[in-house]
Amino acid sequence: MPRIGVYICHCGENIAGAVNVEEVRKYAEQLPEVAIARDYLFMCSDPGQELIKQDIRAGLVDRVVVAACTPRTHEPIFREAVAEAGLNKYLFEMANIRDQDSWAHWHDKEGATAKAKKLVASAVAKAAFLEPLEDRFVEVTPAALVVGGGVAGMFAALDLAGMGYQVYLVEKNPSIGGNMAKLDKTFPTNDCSACILTPVMVRVGTHPKIKLLTYSEVESVEGSFGNFKVKVRRKQTYIDWDKCTGCGDCVNACPARIPNEFNEGMDNRRAVYIEFPQAVPKKAVVDLEHCLNCGKRTIGTAPRIHSKTGKPILAPCERACKTGACDRSKAYDPEGEIIELAVGTIIVTTGYRVMDKAPFKEYSPQSPNVVTAMQLERILSATGPTAGHFERPSDKEKPKTIAFVSCVGSRDKRHHTYCSKVCCMYMLKEARLIKEKYPETDIYIFFIDVRTAGKDFEEYYNYCRNLGIKMLRGRVGGVDELPGDRLRVRAYDVDLGAPVELEADLVVLATAIEPAPGLAELGRKLGITCGSEGFLKEMHTKLYPVETPVRGVYIAGCAQGPKDIPEAVSQARAASSAAAVPLTFGKIVVEPLISEVNQRKCSGCGTCEKLCPYSAIKLVEDKGRLRSHIDEALCAGCGVCAAACPSGAITLHGFTNAQISAQIKALAS
Amino acid sequence: MSEMQAVTGVVNLSAGDPALAGEIRELGGAELLECIQCAKCAAACPMVLAGFSFFNKKVIHAILLGLREELLDDSSIWACQSCNRCTEVCPREVNPFEVVQAMRRVAIREFALPTLSVEGLKSLYDTGHAVYLAGAGNTRAKVGLPEKPPSTVASKKALQELQTIIRNSALADLGIIPMGETGVSETCEV
Repeated sequence: MPRIGVYICHCGENIAGAVNVEEVRKYAEQLPEVAIARDYLFMCSDPGQELIKQDIRAGLVDRVVVAACTPRTHEPIFREAVAEAGLNKYLFEMANIRDQDSWAHWHDKEGATAKAKKLVASAVAKAAFLEPLEDRFVEVTPAALVVGGGVAGMFAALDLAGMGYQVYLVEKNPSIGGNMAKLDKTFPTNDCSACILTPVMVRVGTHPKIKLLTYSEVESVEGSFGNFKVKVRRKQTYIDWDKCTGCGDCVNACPARIPNEFNEGMDNRRAVYIEFPQAVPKKAVVDLEHCLNCGKRTIGTAPRIHSKTGKPILAPCERACKTGACDRSKAYDPEGEIIELAVGTIIVTTGYRVMDKAPFKEYSPQSPNVVTAMQLERILSATGPTAGHFERPSDKEKPKTIAFVSCVGSRDKRHHTYCSKVCCMYMLKEARLIKEKYPETDIYIFFIDVRTAGKDFEEYYNYCRNLGIKMLRGRVGGVDELPGDRLRVRAYDVDLGAPVELEADLVVLATAIEPAPGLAELGRKLGITCGSEGFLKEMHTKLYPVETPVRGVYIAGCAQGPKDIPEAVSQARAASSAAAVPLTFGKIVVEPLISEVNQRKCSGCGTCEKLCPYSAIKLVEDKGRLRSHIDEALCAGCGVCAAACPSGAITLHGFTNAQISAQIKALAS
Repeated sequence: MSEMQAVTGVVNLSAGDPALAGEIRELGGAELLECIQCAKCAAACPMVLAGFSFFNKKVIHAILLGLREELLDDSSIWACQSCNRCTEVCPREVNPFEVVQAMRRVAIREFALPTLSVEGLKSLYDTGHAVYLAGAGNTRAKVGLPEKPPSTVASKKALQELQTIIRNSALADLGIIPMGETGVSETCEV
C-alpha cells in the first residue's frame, strides 16, 4: 500500500491569504493512503524541500504530493528533491492551489479552501497509481541555427562558433548587417555604426565555423530539441556567386531604376544590385521582378546572334561582367535551392522594421520633407543617398529649422500600443549630431514623455538640452504643407499651456518599431507564439527571457520586443550561452511521459497514426498483422492517440487511464 | 482667485527669439539649460498659489523657446516674492529665482517694468530705502529710538555715496531713476 506524503505551501501570502492551509492540511491527513501531511511558508525553499526529503529518507513516505504553485516552474524543482532523497522522481504529483485556486478566488476564502481540498484529494488519488519511470536521453546534434543576421544574430553566431560549434546563419537579405548597418551613429557614445559593425560582419563572413546562408529563409522545421531538421530555401540570385567578385560592373551597366530599400527609398538602385557597399557577402543579385529584360530577352534564353558579326548580343549586365558570373542564358530555377540542416538548437534574431510614414495622414506624409527617423539616419550617413551631406529631400537645401515628432505609431491604439523604447534616444541622437555639426540649426523635439532609462542615457539627454535643443511636451496634432516647401507643425505646449505653431524646413517622424514581416509565420514553423503586439513571446519575462516554450528554441533582440543595440547584443549573448548548454552536454533528458502501445490489444486500425501531430506513429507489419508503433524520439506525449484508441491499447505514461479516472472520481466526490 | 491666462491665441514658435536664452544666462540665469521642466519649483512657488500666469518653471520654458514678447507682455515676473524656495528645492541646481531676476533685467532694458518700481527706485535714490516709512519717526521716538534710523536717512554722507553708486549703475544709464532734490518722498509711504 502506498504511503503518500502531502506538503502544502503557503507561498507566503499568495496561497495562505485565500486558503485556510491548516484546514486543508487536516483534511489531507485523513485521506486514504496519506501517511503524513505538512505545511510550510515556502515549500520550494531549502528548509521546505528538506521536510520532504527527511520524510522520504525516514521511510515515512514513498509518494509525494506538493500542493503549491504551478508545475510549469516548480515541478522540476520538487522532482529533483524527491530524487535526491532516493525516490523515483516520477512518484511525485503537484496540485496547483495558487494559480488555479487562491489567485482566482481571492475574495472567496471559504470557496478557495474547499477547492484546495478537492485539488489535493485529486492529486492524492492520482499519486496512489503513480509508477516509477526512467528518463530517456537523446544525443544532441552539435550545431546551431541562427535566424536573422543583424547585430543580435551575428553576435549569437560568433559566440557559438567561438565555442567550436557549427553555426548556420540564415539571413533573408542578400547581406548580413541588419538595420544597424543603416544607422549613422549609435547612442549613447555616438560610435559610428559602420565602424563598429562592419568588422563584426567580416568576422562572421570569414569564420570557419559559420556557414552563411544569405538571401535565404526558413522553409520548415521538423524534429525536436537536440535534433531539429530545418529546411532553408536559398532564394534564386540569378548570379553565380562562386564567380561573382562583387566588383559592381553589372550594377553600373543596368539601366533599371528601383527605389533603394537600403536608403529607405530616397534614391534608386538597379535591378541587379549589391545591397550596400560594405555588404557581406559582397555579391550581386538580380531582382527579376524589376529586371527590364534588355533586348526583350528573358532570363534563361540564349542571346540573339548579330546578323552581321555573328556574335551573340549580350545584355548590358552580362557584357559588363568579366568573370561570367552574370550569364542570362543559364536556366535558373526560380524556386531557388532547398538546403537541409541538422541542428541541436535554434536562436531567432529576426529584428524589426520601422513603420512607414504613409499611414499618418495628419503629418503630410506626401511631402518629401516629412521623413521618418530612419530616413534621416540615411541622410546623415556617409553611405547614404546624399553621401552624408545634410540636405532636405525637396531642394537639397540644408534645413534651418527641424521638428521631431515622437510616438508616431507607438503608444497609439490604432497602430501599436507599446512604447518603441528607442525613439527618444535616437531623436536626441539625430538632433545632437545635427546641432553639433551645424549649431545654428533650430531644433524642436515634440514629446509625450522623454524616456531615457539606460546607462548614460539621462546624461545624454541633459547634454542635448544644454546644446539648446528645444524640448516641448505635447504630441504634434498636425503638419501642414505651406508654399515654398515649408511645413507648419501644430501642437499644444503643455508646459506653456498654449497651442503652438512652428514653421519647419524638415519634419522627422519617430515611427514605431514593429516586428519583422513574416515573424508570426516563422513562429508557427517553430511552434512559438507571438504576443498581442506581434513580437515573439519569451518563456518567462524575468527568469527565462531568452527561452521559449519550445525547448531548444531561443530568442534575442527585437524579435522579442523593441530594444536598443546594447540590450539586443546582451540578449543575443545570453541566448547563445543558453543555446550552448545542451550542445556542450551532448545529450538531453527526455521525459518518459510518452505513449506506449500494448501490441496484444492493438487491432491495427490506424486511427492513432492519422491523428498523431508529430508523425511519431507508423503501422508496422508484425507476424502478418499491422500493429501501431510509436517512435519514442518523436513522441511529444500529447496523448491524442491514447484518448482516441478504440481498443484502449495505448497508455500515456504519467497520465494513465487509472490515474486520470482516480483524479476525476476524487474531484467529483 | 480665477486663473490668469498667460498667453492667448496660438504661440508662433517661429517668431521666437533664439538669443533670449543666451541673454538670460549672461544676466544671472547661468544654469537655465539644466532645467528639465519637472515643476518642483512651481510646487514651492507662492506665485502659483496666488494664480499668476508666469512662474519660475513656465518662465524658464518660455525663455528656452525665446518667447520674449509673451514674457514682456505679462507682469508676473514682478510678483516674485524673492522667497528663494524654488532655488532651495530645485534638483537640477537651476536657481529658478536667479532666472526670474535675470528676466526682470531683460524686461527693464526694454522699459517693461511696473510703474510702482519707479516709485521704489525714486525712494531708493532719495532715502537709500526702496520702501521708507516717513511717518515712522514718531513711533521710533515713543519707544526711545532715535527718530531717524542709523542709515542713509541719518547720514548725508552715506546717502551721497549711495547716490553716486546709483548714478553709475545700469539702471541710471537706462534713465529710469527719477533723480530730483525732493528729499524723502511721501508717496512711498506704506
